[in-house]
Amino acid sequence: MNAYLDGLRGLQPEIVMTITALAALVFDLVLKGRESRRVGYLTLAGLAFTAWFLLGQWGDSAPRTVFGMVAVDQFGNFFKLFTVAALAMVVLFVMHDQREREHGVGEYYFLLLGAAIGVFFMVSTNNLLLMVLGFELLSLASYSLAGFHKGDRKSAEAAMKYVIFGGLATGIMLYGMSLLYGLTGTIDLAKMGVEGGGLVTQLAKSPVPVGIAMVLILAGFAYKVSVAPFHFWTPDVYEGAPTPVTTFLAVASKAAGFGVMLRFLGAIFLRPGVADNVAAYGERIGLLLAILAAITMTLGNFAALRQTSLKRMLAYSSIAHAGYVLIGVACMTEQGFGAALYYLAAYYFMNLGAFGFLLYFEGVNGNDSVESLKGMGFKAPLISCVMIAFLVSLTGLPPTVGFYGKYLLFVEGVNQGLYWLVVVAALNSVVSLFYYLRVAKALFLAKPAEREAAPAPVLTGFVTALGVATVVLGLYVPPLVAWAQRSLDVLRG
Amino acid sequence: MQDQILSWITFIPLLGMAVILLIPKTSLNAIKGVSLAATFVPMVMATWLYFGGFRHLTQGDFDQARVAGDILASQFVQRIPWIDSIGVEYYVGVDGLSIALVWLTTILLFIGVIASFGMEKAGKAYYALLLMLQVGISGVFVSLDLFLFYVFWEIMLLPMYFLIGIWGGPRREYAAIKFFLYTLAGSVLMLIAIVALRLDSGTFSIPKLTEIAAQGKLLGANLPAAGELLGMKFSTWVFWFLFVGFAIKVPVFPFHTWLPDAHVEAPTPISVILAGILLKLGGYGMLRACFPFAPDAFHEFAYVLAILGVISIVYGAFVALGQTDFKKMVAYSSVSHMGYVLLGMGAFTVWGMEGAVLQMFNHGTSSAALFLIVGVLYDRAHHRDLNAFGGMSQIMPRYWALTTLGFFAALGLPGLAGFVSEALTLIGAYQAGDARFRTLVFISLLGVVFTAAFLLWAMQRVFLGQKNEKYAGFEEINFRELVCQAPLLFLCILFGILPAFLLDWMHPSVQNLLSILGAKA
Repeated sequence: MNAYLDGLRGLQPEIVMTITALAALVFDLVLKGRESRRVGYLTLAGLAFTAWFLLGQWGDSAPRTVFGMVAVDQFGNFFKLFTVAALAMVVLFVMHDQREREHGVGEYYFLLLGAAIGVFFMVSTNNLLLMVLGFELLSLASYSLAGFHKGDRKSAEAAMKYVIFGGLATGIMLYGMSLLYGLTGTIDLAKMGVEGGGLVTQLAKSPVPVGIAMVLILAGFAYKVSVAPFHFWTPDVYEGAPTPVTTFLAVASKAAGFGVMLRFLGAIFLRPGVADNVAAYGERIGLLLAILAAITMTLGNFAALRQTSLKRMLAYSSIAHAGYVLIGVACMTEQGFGAALYYLAAYYFMNLGAFGFLLYFEGVNGNDSVESLKGMGFKAPLISCVMIAFLVSLTGLPPTVGFYGKYLLFVEGVNQGLYWLVVVAALNSVVSLFYYLRVAKALFLAKPAEREAAPAPVLTGFVTALGVATVVLGLYVPPLVAWAQRSLDVLRG
Repeated sequence: MQDQILSWITFIPLLGMAVILLIPKTSLNAIKGVSLAATFVPMVMATWLYFGGFRHLTQGDFDQARVAGDILASQFVQRIPWIDSIGVEYYVGVDGLSIALVWLTTILLFIGVIASFGMEKAGKAYYALLLMLQVGISGVFVSLDLFLFYVFWEIMLLPMYFLIGIWGGPRREYAAIKFFLYTLAGSVLMLIAIVALRLDSGTFSIPKLTEIAAQGKLLGANLPAAGELLGMKFSTWVFWFLFVGFAIKVPVFPFHTWLPDAHVEAPTPISVILAGILLKLGGYGMLRACFPFAPDAFHEFAYVLAILGVISIVYGAFVALGQTDFKKMVAYSSVSHMGYVLLGMGAFTVWGMEGAVLQMFNHGTSSAALFLIVGVLYDRAHHRDLNAFGGMSQIMPRYWALTTLGFFAALGLPGLAGFVSEALTLIGAYQAGDARFRTLVFISLLGVVFTAAFLLWAMQRVFLGQKNEKYAGFEEINFRELVCQAPLLFLCILFGILPAFLLDWMHPSVQNLLSILGAKA
């Protein structure tokens, strides 16, 4: 009984999230769709509680496993805090989205929270089964969120594409996992690669079946983080989905996908006591990921060059950024994973900010084309100047958080001898500058627009806060680096 | 205060920028006043630093400094840990190579602010960006930490982009983005080299890296398979990655194509800063953060550098000869003049190297003056077609006098500054004692002739000949324009007669640099 209570204590954040989700659903029913903003406040309060519990777990650092399934460790904590922070921003976006007024938004919060609970479980388990469950929960909630604007054809199309691609990808992943289970005889990732584990004997026999399983599983993850060639859904879904949902997909869902990928690879290949042949095999997977990284960032950046819609441009840019993060993963070292985590944290600030800017101007212009931003920089100077900071950071120029992220990735890439990849990434950031600058050009290099931009002080305030963080954390880097480093406790056993 | 003087010089403009952002945009006079103050104070400080604070070192001082761990014997050093986890420091200092350029930066930015007063469109954002630009430029010249160097290097790009892009001419968008993309393409390669250097040596400190490289220990031994990559040595890779980054900034042929576009579209004060200071960052960067880190590769490719320099000299001058746009002509003359810098450095003699550093400073004053001269005419005529003027000497005699002085300084008339530095680089290259270099010297004489040709021809077309009645009503050069040009032309004359005022400052550091680089030869 005591052990049971102890286990529940480890699950406090998940429990609070679940209660919040249910409360949001009931509260919305009681309100009958009126004043749905109150549901938003309830959600924010729930998220604050969750964050409080998560910060509490932050203190007790010894990793442990609850009920043999849910791992409570710093690594999961990183992604949970990340998700809570991202979700809080998304909820604020929903509450300040001009266009959401017309839709019933009560269910919005429930679905967002549901997706987040999925993230919570998928990033904090070494158990393949629970991993899939969390993955599916996130996916199902995301599908409905993408199609939230029922009357909107684009939104419906986005949801449909997302479901079909997603269903296929999850199916492939699940097949890979079943192969892995068949090969190793266990669904516990931690037990596969160590001496005496199933993977060791399998690899000694033949690496081919393991290779097939790994490729299939990684395909599922790659789909979630939109790594080429599994990225085709991204631009359409991002464009069709309501902007707050796009934000959620681009930031929280992508980070969660990386969380699961890092957890999976870390638990098998980077664990202390891993067998030699398994570690060597991990390096070959690293090379595969390096190639995917190069393809992904190049493709994302070049496709973004031609976009006329800011939303689509950000979608392709998010593909490119998945490629950058993948550099860190491909290194298959603790430092590489740390750099990937740092980059994700950096990505939180700059991409959320960019989407906040997009949301604001969707409200002002009624569309998301870059063209319609022309000369608006002079009409809404604060948010536009802050946007410049995000663009600079996304390009990876100092003194911003994005630059330091790129620096760390380059360091580990060079350290692992992936010189070609680092050169590709560096040249890619030159390409990306071109389309990021198109936004800056539209905002400031055109004549001041005739129209006025209706102020949105709260939204502008939050976006500005993100902008300040983007610059300040770029100049004062220790906190984020320390956080990213500490979150890798699972790799140290 | 004295210990932190470099930080003050660097960051007072930032302070000024913060103040400007707080002033409402309607009080333009207050904004102008603040920018003037925020550039004037650093200029005073830098002038004091140059003539008062800076110590002329002896060989003994260098030996001492080397023992103390600073092979460059920098002065006014300030060292504060910045990002501990990767060993980045806020590490600034000046030596004989950088001090003159720091001084020049502060002078040109101050002049740039005054020159901007004539621009009607220039408002709050303009002055804020101008000051931000200054922070970046001064920062690069004083940085002794490679990471810090890179951060300052990149900070310059954004303000420059907007300054050209918002306040520029008709094709400003194209020019601004071209400038940004070219420079960034160079600097991302630099970043990779910086990362590799750091991982191999374990330090970002420029003096430390210089020392390690001089001992021949910077060979990529601590990096996987970096001893030899694709048939090239580690130091060769480092050399080219850094060199291309700096060469784009100089700009060296064939990386120069952004420069004429940027110059033609940029407003006059920005052209002044671009030609006067930004181009020097490239040359300075090579001396500070490229050659010393890969001395082997430098010696191996010194002749290639010299060839690139000579191509720039001759090609730049030749293309300038064909221009009908006054400003474009001056822009190409910059390409030509910066070629001497490369030729001098490639020659690797005391005279050549000193000539190169001197040429950077002298080109800073003379080209800035030329762009101001173009600006004066453009403000009145609103075009820059060399063929459309004529007989301006009768309309604006005082302006003509100043122009003549500026042109002669640029074409290297003895007695003016350009002559000394060009002569030094050419003699230095001749002294290299090698038939190949002598050939180059003879070829580059062609550039000297072309330079004289295009400047004199331009002079003839604009100022001499039949008076063009259309422009008869032009007012004479006004006080503000005079204030901008006078100090620059004064410096051209001063350093033409007394180059020792620059050379004595540079000489010990150049000597030291040569011995560092030569130690491996």
